[in-house]
Amino acid sequence: MIAQILAVVIFVVMFALIVSEKVERHIASMGCGALMLTVVFGFCMHSMTAVLETLNIRSIFTLDFWYHTGSAAETSAGINWETILFIAGMMVMVEGMGRAGFFRWLCIRIAKAVRYQVIPIFVTFMVMSFGLAMFIDSITVILFLAAVTVELSQLLKFNPVPMILSEIFCANLGGSATMCGDPPNIIIGTSLGYTFGDFITNTGLIAVISLVFIILYFYLCFRKELKQKPEDKETIVYPDPAGAIQDKRAFAVSSAIFAGAVILLVTHAQTGLTVASIGLMIGVVTLVAAGKDAVILLRKVDYSTLAFFTGLFVVVGGLEQTKILGVIADFIARISGDNMLLMIAIVLWVSAIASAFVDNIPFAATMIPIIKTLSQTVGVDLAVLAWTLALGTDIGGSATPIGASANVVGISVASRSGHLIGWGKYCKYAAPATIIVVFISMLCIYVRYCGIAG
Amino acid sequence: MERQLIISVGREFGSGGHEIAEELARRFDIPLYDSNLLECIAQERKLDGKLLGKYDEKPKNRLLYRKVKGFSNSPQENVANLQFQYLKKMAEEGKSFVIVGRCAETKLKEFPALVSVFILGRTETKIQRIVEKYHVLPAGAAQMMKREDASRKSYHNYHCQEKWGDSRTYDLTVNSSYLGVLGTADVIESYIRKRMEA
Repeated sequence: MIAQILAVVIFVVMFALIVSEKVERHIASMGCGALMLTVVFGFCMHSMTAVLETLNIRSIFTLDFWYHTGSAAETSAGINWETILFIAGMMVMVEGMGRAGFFRWLCIRIAKAVRYQVIPIFVTFMVMSFGLAMFIDSITVILFLAAVTVELSQLLKFNPVPMILSEIFCANLGGSATMCGDPPNIIIGTSLGYTFGDFITNTGLIAVISLVFIILYFYLCFRKELKQKPEDKETIVYPDPAGAIQDKRAFAVSSAIFAGAVILLVTHAQTGLTVASIGLMIGVVTLVAAGKDAVILLRKVDYSTLAFFTGLFVVVGGLEQTKILGVIADFIARISGDNMLLMIAIVLWVSAIASAFVDNIPFAATMIPIIKTLSQTVGVDLAVLAWTLALGTDIGGSATPIGASANVVGISVASRSGHLIGWGKYCKYAAPATIIVVFISMLCIYVRYCGIAG
Repeated sequence: MERQLIISVGREFGSGGHEIAEELARRFDIPLYDSNLLECIAQERKLDGKLLGKYDEKPKNRLLYRKVKGFSNSPQENVANLQFQYLKKMAEEGKSFVIVGRCAETKLKEFPALVSVFILGRTETKIQRIVEKYHVLPAGAAQMMKREDASRKSYHNYHCQEKWGDSRTYDLTVNSSYLGVLGTADVIESYIRKRMEA
């Protein structure tokens, strides 16, 4: 009992520290992780087994960690090293792409392809934001996209705020479409043994349907604000996509590595390679191709995020070891009874609302053992709960300016150029869009997995 | 004026710091910047000055806004950074000016032309000044003073390591309650002229 209480206290303290920003979030999670290992597992439980299971180092030395011989399996509790290795590899690759000028080139190339007309840029940038975020972290996508949007807005004399708000939303939506699009999905996929193909044919399909509605929604919201003044067109000097490329060789190499990463991810169920193997491969290839610049790339890796994940997995492992999450799962099961529709609605809406205000990564990591227990005790298909959780956490983050990292970065880029976006302006457009997408997701899940049609 | 001169004036609410800054700007014949700094930025970048003004010299709300990898979505923080950049740009261009508040004593401390001053005052004198200026009752004036000073302190200490009102942060710290606006301006003027001769 004391171990359970202490585990909850440590978890709540970690969450409070992350929200308050009094200390860096990786320090909060690592510190609380250390407390969980020593105080809860050591002093209260006297369990070395719990410590070893949570550190989970043994998993790295198993074949299954690198290569799946059969169908993908659920990983054990504790630190999800597969997620950490994959994210580290992607960070190296994305850094290489950014240095070569890939993202800026792509943005300007697309703007040029639609002849620098504001409404077509608005629509294509939403689609590009969605597409890039399927494979690359949404912070990087928004960082480049929002910067180019501000630049184009100064040239073409339009307000960049509507476009940036739409790009942020589509980046978060794109992240929900694949296993590697958003950290909660990587954690869900690696913890529960789902593949890239599983995600794209389930959450991906729902995300694409939602994208169609969202493009229409944002178009109706912003079409008047984005009207271009025709008299300005003659005097504008348009940016050249080629000018964005810093180094032609590095550009070609990073584009090829990105294409390779996409192919490896799409086919990983067939090849048997795990995301840990793919992360390691693309990271190593990027470093080898970078030559002497490899040191710079390694220095740019966001180690604090990796440390944050590590500490977080330990804290959530503590909740799991002390069986607290089982209690929460039983509670949800009691409320919903054997009503699967109600259970899906609870998981979807609670995840979405929570993710609108708190970091969705710790939330998703905490919910995974809960949906596992729910599936075992109530007999609901685990996959359905997994897609519900992924969609709820990924989409819910779009509702408020603090819900997801991409929102913070996008708003910051706009604000640095003087285009301020407060809570009122942001929520006026993003909150209804979030509600629309959560409803579409709920409807799709009900129709497809619960047999409700017509 | 041939030699560059930048005077930063930090102030407690009700101390008359703003009037002293105006007087110094008049005596040295240099422009004064306070909230009008945002109008200059808005004009230059074709932005909505009124919207920027809403967040001028306001502390960040830590619960409502977040920071990710050095990117903050707080309008207060972003408006402050726009002002800091603009001040630095003017200082780098060799312009002379008086700047009221806006952490200028810290943000411009690398410029040799900077003279930083902090104006404080006795509580009773400050309340009296607030009552006369804003036509409020003394109790309301005291509350107003407390609120404004807390806001300025929070804003300053969020953006700077040096503490607001700490004498070690400024070149000169003066209590305006004894000499009034003109008398205090005389003292500061004389100090600045001596500094310029040195």
